[in-house]
Amino acid sequence: MSGFEGSTDADQAATLVAAVVTLIVFGGLFGERRLFGWTQHLFAGLITGYLVLLAITEVIVPRLVVPLAEDPVARPELWLGVGLLVTAAGAPWLPRLVAAVPVSIAIGGVAAFALGGAVVGTILPQLAASIARPGDDAVATVVSASAAIVSGLVLIGFVHGAPRGKVLAGASAAGRWLMLGGIGGWIGYLLLSRLVLMVDRITFLVVDWLGLGR
Amino acid sequence: MSETAVRLAAPIILVVALAAGILVDANARFEASATDRAAATRFDTVLDGLTPDSLVLVGFDADFGTYAEIRPSVRTLLADLLARDARLAFVSLTPEGRALALAERDRLMRLDPDLEADRIGDLGFLPGSEAALVTVARAIDGGAALGPPSDPVDLAETGLVLVVGGNDLGPRSWVEQVVPRIGPIPMVAVTPTILLPEVQPYLASGQLAALIATPIEGAAYRDDVAEATGGRLGELGGPSTLAVGFGLAIGIVWLLLALVRRMASSRPAREADRA
Repeated sequence: MSGFEGSTDADQAATLVAAVVTLIVFGGLFGERRLFGWTQHLFAGLITGYLVLLAITEVIVPRLVVPLAEDPVARPELWLGVGLLVTAAGAPWLPRLVAAVPVSIAIGGVAAFALGGAVVGTILPQLAASIARPGDDAVATVVSASAAIVSGLVLIGFVHGAPRGKVLAGASAAGRWLMLGGIGGWIGYLLLSRLVLMVDRITFLVVDWLGLGR
Repeated sequence: MSETAVRLAAPIILVVALAAGILVDANARFEASATDRAAATRFDTVLDGLTPDSLVLVGFDADFGTYAEIRPSVRTLLADLLARDARLAFVSLTPEGRALALAERDRLMRLDPDLEADRIGDLGFLPGSEAALVTVARAIDGGAALGPPSDPVDLAETGLVLVVGGNDLGPRSWVEQVVPRIGPIPMVAVTPTILLPEVQPYLASGQLAALIATPIEGAAYRDDVAEATGGRLGELGGPSTLAVGFGLAIGIVWLLLALVRRMASSRPAREADRA
């Protein structure tokens, strides 16, 4: 059961709408596309409205309007942000060099955080973790060594185009098969998870909506 | 049987079988075997290390499409944390995550009207993606308060970071931006299976202290909690076992039928080639 709904009339109306939309989406399984398309438009409309509401109530008003209204001088960085926003909005009418400033800052900021985080938080720790090292017992040592070998083989599996001998070709093939094995195991779990999602939706229809099996 | 009949019959059989499974066996839930309990045990060990009244920062950025898969485990975990006298503080960095976090927070307040509001703090929606994560990490490390000015939450007392993943800013972003900045505070995650290949390496490297990323791991964790609390945390159930079993059986039969049909249709072509 989703458990999101309470017992008020509004909650019951929400359950009814959710049930009808779920049935329409299931209709897509039987080839009914028109109503299915309509539900997609409904979803897009609701999401757009929600995003606007979220932007106004949780970002623009509390983080920009209120601080500037309370003390316009105390937060100069907010004025700078407003200036960049106006520049971005007026980009079509401004010289290219000026219009590029807000875009450059946005891209530069995102790239700096994302790349820095990827190096410090993923690449270096994962490289360190894939190095074989002695463990507390023999099993841990074997597992560590096996993980290092598998990592190495899978990396070699990505070697393409360069001239290579029999050993490298064999390692590359083994790496690709290991990777396929891993992906196969994941897809097995994924099928199970998709089935769990479908069971959840049918449980919603049968138990929450129709009230059967309670 | 014609192609159209098969196309219509297959989903009808699947939906009817799943509904029958749910009705026949509404109370029997997914169970994990002893071999699948490693993730749940690791999770329990991390939670056992929490001191009473610890603050648990809940990074709630689940996805509308996949949240139903992890919902029973997330709810069990939140109930488990509250039963351990932890305080929760929700924060979201994606709009979808914010909607789901609000819904779960409202649900908790509705279920237990005596629950004090300061036990379920709300930091709200933080815009800025990775930059917002850095702000959160600095607040934890520097002992600053975050959240609405009327009701800020002091993150200095954070004892655990829990990431509910599924959306763009999931455990990977938290591990990359927050873990290097917060020192020894452990981070755990609950994610849908689709993120398994992305987050599993972080568990192996120790960057994530514990992880629940498959329905079976979730079932094992819920079993452990139900056993420890005698079921007093309320409805912790997952999907109906029988319905999932029916679905798997139908899926396997459907795949075998497709294989047989394919082999049968390719035989005349092979014979023609030989002739």
